[in-house]
Amino acid sequence: MALFPVISNFQEDFVLLLLPVDTENTMDEVAAAAAHHSVGTRVAPRPDKVVRVRRQGASDFFPRDQRLAETGVRPMETLEFIFCDA
Amino acid sequence: MPLLERSAWYDIARDTNWTPKYVEVDELFPPDQSDPYGIPVAEWETFDEPYKVSYREYVSVQREKDAGAYSVKAALARSSYYEDADPAYLSMLKLHYGAIALSEYAACQSDARMTRFSKAPGMRNMATFGMLDELRHGQIQLYFPHQLVSLDRQFDWAHQAHHSKNWAAIAGRHALDDVMMTRDSVTTSIMLNFAFETGLTNIQMIGLSADAANMGDFTFSNLITSIQSDEARHAQIGTPVLEIMVRNGRKAEAQQAVDIAFWRIHRIFAILTGIPMDYWIPLEKRDRSFKEYMTEFVGEQFERQLLDLGLERPWYWDIFLEDVGTHHHCQAAATWAWRNTLWWNPTGNVGPRERAWLEEKYPGWNDTFGKAWDVIIDNLVEGRTERTLPETLPIVCNMSQIPICAIPGNGWNVKDWPLEYEGRLYHFNSEIDRWVFEQEPERYRGHMTLVDRFLAGHILPPDLGGALAYMSLQPGEMGDDAHGYAWVDAYRETRRAAE
Repeated sequence: MALFPVISNFQEDFVLLLLPVDTENTMDEVAAAAAHHSVGTRVAPRPDKVVRVRRQGASDFFPRDQRLAETGVRPMETLEFIFCDA
Repeated sequence: MPLLERSAWYDIARDTNWTPKYVEVDELFPPDQSDPYGIPVAEWETFDEPYKVSYREYVSVQREKDAGAYSVKAALARSSYYEDADPAYLSMLKLHYGAIALSEYAACQSDARMTRFSKAPGMRNMATFGMLDELRHGQIQLYFPHQLVSLDRQFDWAHQAHHSKNWAAIAGRHALDDVMMTRDSVTTSIMLNFAFETGLTNIQMIGLSADAANMGDFTFSNLITSIQSDEARHAQIGTPVLEIMVRNGRKAEAQQAVDIAFWRIHRIFAILTGIPMDYWIPLEKRDRSFKEYMTEFVGEQFERQLLDLGLERPWYWDIFLEDVGTHHHCQAAATWAWRNTLWWNPTGNVGPRERAWLEEKYPGWNDTFGKAWDVIIDNLVEGRTERTLPETLPIVCNMSQIPICAIPGNGWNVKDWPLEYEGRLYHFNSEIDRWVFEQEPERYRGHMTLVDRFLAGHILPPDLGGALAYMSLQPGEMGDDAHGYAWVDAYRETRRAAE
């Protein structure tokens, strides 16, 4: 368990954000942490969607239940948070 | 004693040079300070500035300029203009003075080094006047806001900003230190006199002067017109320097210097000028949009000057022309969101009428930037002001030192431009910022952005209070919406009417 800073690039938001998360967080928990800073603040809520996580520029998303420590993501790497069908 | 006409003595006096006998030329003019390009002295002695002035003439003209600017200020000092002025307009002044006043002193040092180290006697002569110009600009732009400190202590940031660790001040210093404080006199002249002053100063001085006159602030309008008249003269130092560089096979190096400096200063001016012009000036007082100014004064005029000198457009010219229509909109939203970290009070000021203007000037604004403002407005209308205040930091570019942001909403294209160098991961706001870093990584690698400092434990406690203290923002100075969110009232009324 360790504090782990990543960069949030949230779909439809205009700015990259510092996102402090934990290595034990699942990707759904990381997505929820990112959504807290963007959705309802500068991004309109889309309750019919889920937010999936991927590396910047990647086409594949991380599995929703995968823990951050298992992904190989580096500290301060930029992650994209994308609205997807549930 | 009769005086000779200037034309009878000017050239020989200006070109007077000497051949050192007791030291080597490289000791008198160290290459890393004077000319790392190795251009022969005989070439530098051909330096011929287009605008000629003697010291006697200079003093006389400058005295008249100062008398004009100070007398307008004195005449209007008894009016209550500033007490009654639109608070967003006052923010433009606070931002301008904080960003510019002490930067002028830095520019004075820069010109002083050209005066000492240039191998071109004509350039040393011109830079002497430039040095005195910048000294005047520093003094007058500290003196004018001083009377406003009693009105609002944010005006004290005319003095404080440059010495602070405020993120916006760091951004300004990083760019200006790069362009005018840490290079040899030749490269500095290309970057400062040509790319910055010839290329971009017009937009700050002429554009804001027009807006200030429309706002009825003749003190400020007159002041910056007076300053610009100096800039227009000493900016011309850069042209003969570039001619000599191109003639001596150094076009590539000259082009690189132009490309680096032009982009760096453009991104600063997008905040300094773009936001006030398109958001803070009341709709009926706006002269032209930022994009229109940039297109005319920069896109057309600077491009022509570049080509006339035998240089090329910067490699990113198409990106730049797009950028003048987008980047300041991102930064308007970002600076407003993190408004409590500023020494000025930005206004959102995107009411229905303003949005119609933005859509007209920037087609697609509502579908992109407007989408983010829709959410912000909804929160304000519903009384959720706390939801408009971020709970984390924006990522700051390792080159420009400003938040990494781009187009939101349906045109979403926000992207990090990362680079790993010597095991450290850097983040950039554009491929151009990253390109600048790549040209000379050892120059930039050690600098820490505000976010880097936060993560390294320099900001304690690691929260908003700690960050404000780190940035020296005292109670009563931190920014808030200039209009107290009054621009949201129109939406509130529309919703009330619909219920």
